[in-house]
Amino acid sequence: MASVTLDNVVKRYGAVQVVHGVDLEIGSKEFVVLVGPSGCGKSTTLRMIAGLEEITEGRISIGDKVVNEVAPKDRDVAMVFQNYALYPHLNVAENIAFGLRIRRVKKQQIAESVTEVAKILGLTDYLDRRPSDLSGGQRQRVAMGRAIVRHPEVFLFDEPLSNLDAKLRTQMRAEIRRLHNRLGVTSVYVTHDQVEAMTLADRIVIMNEGRIEQIGTPMDLFMNPANVFVAGFIGSPPMNLIDAEVVSENGVLKARVDDEASFPLPPATGLTKVTGRSITVGIRPEDVEIKQRNGSEGTPCVLDLVEPLGSEALVHTSVAGRPFIVKAETRGGVSHLSAIDRLFVDPAHMHVFDQETGNALGPRSMGHGG
Amino acid sequence: MAKSEAPLQEIGARPSETWQLSTSPGSSLHWLVGHFRKEWQIYVLLAPMIIWFLVFLYKPMYGLQIAFKDFSIFRGVAESPWVGFEHFETLFANSQFIRAIKNTVIISAYTLVFGFPVPIILALMFNEVLNATFKRTAQTIVYLPHFISTVIIAGIVITAFSPSAGIVNTMLGWLGIDSIYFLTKPEWFRPIFVGSGIWQEAGFTSIIFLAAIAGVNPSLYESAVVDGASRWQMMWKITIPSIMPTILIMLIIRIGNIMEVGFELIILLYQPATYQTADVINTFIFRQGLESGQYDLAAAAGLFNAVVAFVLVMIANTISKRVSRTSLW
Repeated sequence: MASVTLDNVVKRYGAVQVVHGVDLEIGSKEFVVLVGPSGCGKSTTLRMIAGLEEITEGRISIGDKVVNEVAPKDRDVAMVFQNYALYPHLNVAENIAFGLRIRRVKKQQIAESVTEVAKILGLTDYLDRRPSDLSGGQRQRVAMGRAIVRHPEVFLFDEPLSNLDAKLRTQMRAEIRRLHNRLGVTSVYVTHDQVEAMTLADRIVIMNEGRIEQIGTPMDLFMNPANVFVAGFIGSPPMNLIDAEVVSENGVLKARVDDEASFPLPPATGLTKVTGRSITVGIRPEDVEIKQRNGSEGTPCVLDLVEPLGSEALVHTSVAGRPFIVKAETRGGVSHLSAIDRLFVDPAHMHVFDQETGNALGPRSMGHGG
Repeated sequence: MAKSEAPLQEIGARPSETWQLSTSPGSSLHWLVGHFRKEWQIYVLLAPMIIWFLVFLYKPMYGLQIAFKDFSIFRGVAESPWVGFEHFETLFANSQFIRAIKNTVIISAYTLVFGFPVPIILALMFNEVLNATFKRTAQTIVYLPHFISTVIIAGIVITAFSPSAGIVNTMLGWLGIDSIYFLTKPEWFRPIFVGSGIWQEAGFTSIIFLAAIAGVNPSLYESAVVDGASRWQMMWKITIPSIMPTILIMLIIRIGNIMEVGFELIILLYQPATYQTADVINTFIFRQGLESGQYDLAAAAGLFNAVVAFVLVMIANTISKRVSRTSLW
């Protein structure tokens, strides 16, 4: 299967630049997810790979071939669209066969390919039905069947699960991953859902305002976010981010939020000479311990709301007037959570970012970045 | 079914409200009054259309009974004596009426065969034009004739086909062909009438199909582009099938109007010399009813016309529903 390379790719609509010099290498058989908020340029980047959008500057290669001037049909890519893009007047078999018929493949071969794909996707019983007679999940499978049947070098997915309900999305997510494992086709997948990105990707590309913020494996991005944006984007609920100032108390570095609230900082050498520096501390909700009243250590907080989720609960608090979410075990009940007034954070789990640039500080930031 | 077991039925209810409708007229009226009180603004908005329908479409139905009466304007509708199907027998014994039916069907068939596809082709062509300025200019040119009054259209046609100074005969003269008295020759009436109708309305009707084309999901084209389809293939395999429901609805409406040939233009263009091919049911009704004062006979012809149109719409709708799942109701 082919690799895909984006070399300083720029996209402008008139005076508005929506993609700012994207560099990305996608290996053969790799499953890469482009993720980011609405308007970050992820779909535009995918459409440029497909050839549906012209590239203003830069170069896109599929395999060894530069495809800037190559028509979409000659790029050997197949695309799955958000709204399935199924032809309403054709039945499932005809929809799957559409690309092959356009390419004037022999009827016998089309029939065999459609049968094979329908078998893989569990659509054999629905071949005579029209899209309007199918459920959302079945329609999505037909859309994937249309892509698979052509045996392309690259699959492109443009938010293919966003029209499905939560349960079906989880099922289809697993099906897409199984399909990738089975077919081993290079895949580029666009989504705004970070859970989808985390569960599907070999590597995730996080985009924001037309730029790549960070590239890495899902766990890499979760454990070592390169900047405040990535830290806030990956993780559910998102990382707590609080502005603070570096202070030294008895030789121990702390992030001082206000006169009463502070967090211990990790003993990172990069921070020893930065007393007084403005930073943003990042603490994941699951990295916080809670203590009962009468504790004298830790960071004081004010309880706002407890949201029970079953085995765990989201505890909404505020630290020095700023919102702070804690993920806590329920242990069969939530009554013990209503007495929280102090939080404890292991410095080893603390993320520190420069307040001005937003970039990670200390050893966590080393070796990572877009 | 006992009254207490009557099923609950929601009629136009919002999610939070359930209106009980039983089969008894009293409770239906009760429901209507309750609904009116709650949603009176909607009824106010609906009122002009309801009034228009009542005054111009339902009230005249009362007058239809004169098709079965020996109507006299002095005795009035109610006092005129019943004569059964006498007027219908008279009509079908009248060779002019039979000729009018034949002409109506032939002119409508010509209009359907030659006129119906033109707006679709125009819309498909406009859809393929990439130059926006050229597209706008071309659209304006083809829309314009729709806004010209029928009398002016007739004037233009008469002038264009004039044997002395008409552009058509002038051009024929350039080719060494003698002038033809087009509007006095029965064999030329239908082509001229159908052609001028297409010229006047095709552009404007194409707006409906252009709107349908604009409603086609752009992803279908993008998906086809990635699959390798050419513009020609996309037009045949995506655009036309996607606007087929609109085409069928328009076709059903057109078939329903097959007995309604635009008779104003015919009256303005025809003359006794061309009655043989030009006289249609509506012009026959006009002459019998208004010029000869035979209102009862004209009403019978009109009723016949309406019943045939109704049957045609029903047939077309049923066929369309079965074949393509598209229907008016």
